[in-house]
Amino acid sequence: MTILLNRLVQAAMVAIIVGVSTFAMMRALPGDAAYRIAAGRYGYDNVTAAAADAVRAELGLDAHWFPALLQWLGDLVRLDFGVSLVSGQPVMQEIVHQLGASLWLALAAVGLSLLMGPPLGILAGLRPGGLLDRVLLVVSTGLKSIPQFLMALILILSVQMGWLPAAGYGQSRHFILPALALALGLAAVNARITRDAMARITEMPFYRFAGWKGLRHGQVLRRHGLRNVAVPLLTYLGLQFVTLIEGVVVIETIVGWPGIGHALVHAVFARDVPMVQGTALVLGLGFVLINTVIDLTVRRIDPRGRT
Amino acid sequence: MSKPLPALSRLLLAAAISVTLGTPMLAQNNATLSVVAPFEVLSPEPSIAGYIFTRMGIAETLVNADAEGRLLPGLATDWTASEDGLSWRFTLRDGVVFHDGTALTPAAVINALETARAKPGPLGDLPITAMEADGNTVVMTLSEPRAALPAFLAEARAQILAPDAYGADGMATAMIGTGPYQLTDLSPPLSLRASVFAPYWGDAPHVGNVTYAAVGRAETRALMAESGDDDFVFTLDPASVTRLGNSDAVEVLSVAIPRTLLLKVNAAHPFLSDIGARQALSLAIDRAGIAQAILRYPEGADQLFPPAIGAWHNEDVAPLTYDVAAAQALLADLGWTPGNDGVLMRDGERFALTLLTYPDRPELPLVAAVLEQQLRAVGIDVTINSTNSSEIPAGHQNGTLEIALLARNFALIPDPIGTVLSDFAPVGDWGAMGWDNAEIVELAQALARGEGDDADRARVTAILQEELPIIPIAWYQQTLAVAAGIEGATIDPWERTFGLQDLRKPE
Amino acid sequence: MTAIPNNTSPARLAGAAILALLAALALFGPLLVPGDPFGQSLVKSLGGPDAAAPLGYDHLGRSLFHRLAHALRLSPAIALGAVATAGAAGLILGTWAAAQGGWVDRILATLADALLALPGLLLVLIVLAIMPGTAFGFWAGLSLVLWVEFFRLTRATSRAVLASPAVEAAQLLGFGWPYIFRTHLWPEIAPVMLTAAAFGTATAIMAIAALGFVSVGMRAPTPELGLMMVELLPYWREAPSALLTPVIATFALLMGLTLLAGSRET
Repeated sequence: MTILLNRLVQAAMVAIIVGVSTFAMMRALPGDAAYRIAAGRYGYDNVTAAAADAVRAELGLDAHWFPALLQWLGDLVRLDFGVSLVSGQPVMQEIVHQLGASLWLALAAVGLSLLMGPPLGILAGLRPGGLLDRVLLVVSTGLKSIPQFLMALILILSVQMGWLPAAGYGQSRHFILPALALALGLAAVNARITRDAMARITEMPFYRFAGWKGLRHGQVLRRHGLRNVAVPLLTYLGLQFVTLIEGVVVIETIVGWPGIGHALVHAVFARDVPMVQGTALVLGLGFVLINTVIDLTVRRIDPRGRT
Repeated sequence: MSKPLPALSRLLLAAAISVTLGTPMLAQNNATLSVVAPFEVLSPEPSIAGYIFTRMGIAETLVNADAEGRLLPGLATDWTASEDGLSWRFTLRDGVVFHDGTALTPAAVINALETARAKPGPLGDLPITAMEADGNTVVMTLSEPRAALPAFLAEARAQILAPDAYGADGMATAMIGTGPYQLTDLSPPLSLRASVFAPYWGDAPHVGNVTYAAVGRAETRALMAESGDDDFVFTLDPASVTRLGNSDAVEVLSVAIPRTLLLKVNAAHPFLSDIGARQALSLAIDRAGIAQAILRYPEGADQLFPPAIGAWHNEDVAPLTYDVAAAQALLADLGWTPGNDGVLMRDGERFALTLLTYPDRPELPLVAAVLEQQLRAVGIDVTINSTNSSEIPAGHQNGTLEIALLARNFALIPDPIGTVLSDFAPVGDWGAMGWDNAEIVELAQALARGEGDDADRARVTAILQEELPIIPIAWYQQTLAVAAGIEGATIDPWERTFGLQDLRKPE
Repeated sequence: MTAIPNNTSPARLAGAAILALLAALALFGPLLVPGDPFGQSLVKSLGGPDAAAPLGYDHLGRSLFHRLAHALRLSPAIALGAVATAGAAGLILGTWAAAQGGWVDRILATLADALLALPGLLLVLIVLAIMPGTAFGFWAGLSLVLWVEFFRLTRATSRAVLASPAVEAAQLLGFGWPYIFRTHLWPEIAPVMLTAAAFGTATAIMAIAALGFVSVGMRAPTPELGLMMVELLPYWREAPSALLTPVIATFALLMGLTLLAGSRET
């Protein structure tokens, strides 16, 4: 129960931080917010004083800040995120639309990284100091030093053979490049985590004993190894969710993926504050939710942690 | 000799099918043409993303325009103005239906135009006092003559949607147009799909389906064109044009458009209020260098309008030139002397200016960086502020703008008089600032009423060339990469249409 | 938390060597080959190396060598500034929370938890939108993101140390806070802080470059690694080495920091 309560407090705190900071953003915009919004809405050819005045009148941007803040937070409590200043569509509707695209991308990236990282990590961990272990160390250190945007850039330029689309959305092959750009970095780290956990476990008496009592290698690994490797791996995945989301923000912007990260960058640029608030809130609460699920799962796998 | 046979048999087959189905002879196939452009399709609202729907052939306007800017019948077959120019009659085309099956009526047209007039945009500024139906015509009453009225109605925001397209607040919630393509899926902000609308009044398009994807980054768009995955990639960055030009997978088209890269100058600024100072600024700019190195065009702009805009290009004005020594001499005449760091000083003030620009068009910050160096060479210290495009109209209104680098579109309507009127008669958010010239105001208003002639237009451009309330730098070219195998692609210099209905793509 | 990480492992030495090389290039390079990172010469656009520009020219004919040297000063300077601020804030708040316990501890821990749930880039973006000046905004935004990690480390370490018999004895003997901090806390915290600082610097540099690359970070014509990459990207086929220059520099910088940080207990 304490896990849930703690996570609930965390979620409430996230909502307050996002609410207040986006409100501050709305108020403290350098330049005139009405002009910015008009530019986002009508494009640079058509942003004029008349368009800005229309926006100002429509949004009541001249109101005093304190009642506006109360109303802002009140709307937040009622889960009313308002209407995108740029498109005029309800924020909730837009986010639901975009969240799907981002979730699929994130899932594809995590899936891909789990296919690459942990198997290599287990093999390396079974024989610490071996050739595979040393190669893996060098490769994963290298991959960790490549930011995701750079990975995307490298992949985009290296797939100019024409067998992968550089950008686009809608078909399964459009997933490959952005998912791979995200997955390589994740795989580098989760391979290391798996390798360390595996190496530790093979050292442990119970694991060696299992070998002595006559179980074959594969059986030992399945019965005792994987379960113990899964715990640190899962915990790590929960923490890495934030990195993943950051990666999604950047990668989506680069390859034109119609997800929540792309929406966020555009909303920040166009000063579409309700959209910034909505996307930030969904990302933050998503992190809390995923970690709650992971907490609970880890406790199932590894009952020792229970208090 | 076996080649013609399959084509012929396919044609016969298509004919047979169309006969059996009782539909008119369809030339279209089931191929899908994918279009990529930088513009986000944020909503079905015409004032926000209407131009994408007209370009994609989904929505239409009363009036169309050809590549020379000549007006052509659209949803209106013809139009006439009364003697005094205060009453206009637009006859609607017969047999036009909206994508929801309802008929195009004068009431629907008036509803669409009234809704558009309530929103910010050039249409709202027209002196229209009343619109009413008379049989199959729409009658518009003006409070003062406006010869360019039909051109205003050719603009995307004047597109005609069915009454059901609009919500209670007047914002469109659905895209119900009359075009050859019917919207089948809209996923804001990045994509849409459309298919042929069979009851279309005009010629049916050849390609059955079209998709649109917004991709903001020019480099990514170029890579998409290069991979041959997308058929029709609009707006390329200069470096990619060179690169794609060498590729067999795509053909690159480019055409001069009525959009000019120019320097907006605050003529009320104490450093810039003298014509000599503005001329010095102009002389300090190496237009050919900028055009060739950054835009990769053969030449820069030596006046505001490119030769392609015949009516407004003025052969007789003295071309703008690059002459650092002359610029320095002019500034010296105005009392400026070089300070210790090479920057000009006058009465204890440094000749320092802030240049506003915006990165939405990728070449602008680059040109700004070059301008900074070129102006520095004559002793003017420029600080670049690359920011949101809205800072330019905002700075214009509150008077803080000093100079700004921008790309001005003179084809918001297919007649530059619309922009001339809003930008130079006498000032405008994106045009002249702190400048007052009674003659140009009079000339522009007369031209807008339909009274002036070519000599008046020439006088307008001559005044702009002499007084330099804005300093032209380069004329834009629109670029397009078309995948190999696509036939019939053209670029509309007025940027009203992608011309998809004329394209052919093998199935 | 008693084992002090081996400060002289070969990997760490290699990392320090890479960083020293980059620092030398950034600080002394322009002294050896004088030049202007902003000076343009359009005729030399995308030209190869010469004596005045050992790494060739970019699309505006600016010396890549001097732009790179300036970029290698800018990002690390902002990053180090943010890490120093965040480290100090984390250290003070962390020890305070551990020593005080109760409400102070709970509020700070909840705040840190909530910040941890928000993507760092998002916070930086919001702060950038509020603050005037990009470099200042980056410093403020990154400090806001990075202090959490230092806070958590300090708090966890301090709690364990403060509960130890040695500290209790010291308190009984009447030693003041400065003494306890110096002799008991700092030796435990310092090695962890170094690792966290190296990771924090790497995170900050990545964030600046990533936002520069998606055109919402530093603005042209400032030489910045991400911005240089995106500016040179269109010319990658004409001048691949020009694009590779900032790419390799960024990679080396981050690699050096990762190696210097050593392996982290997750």
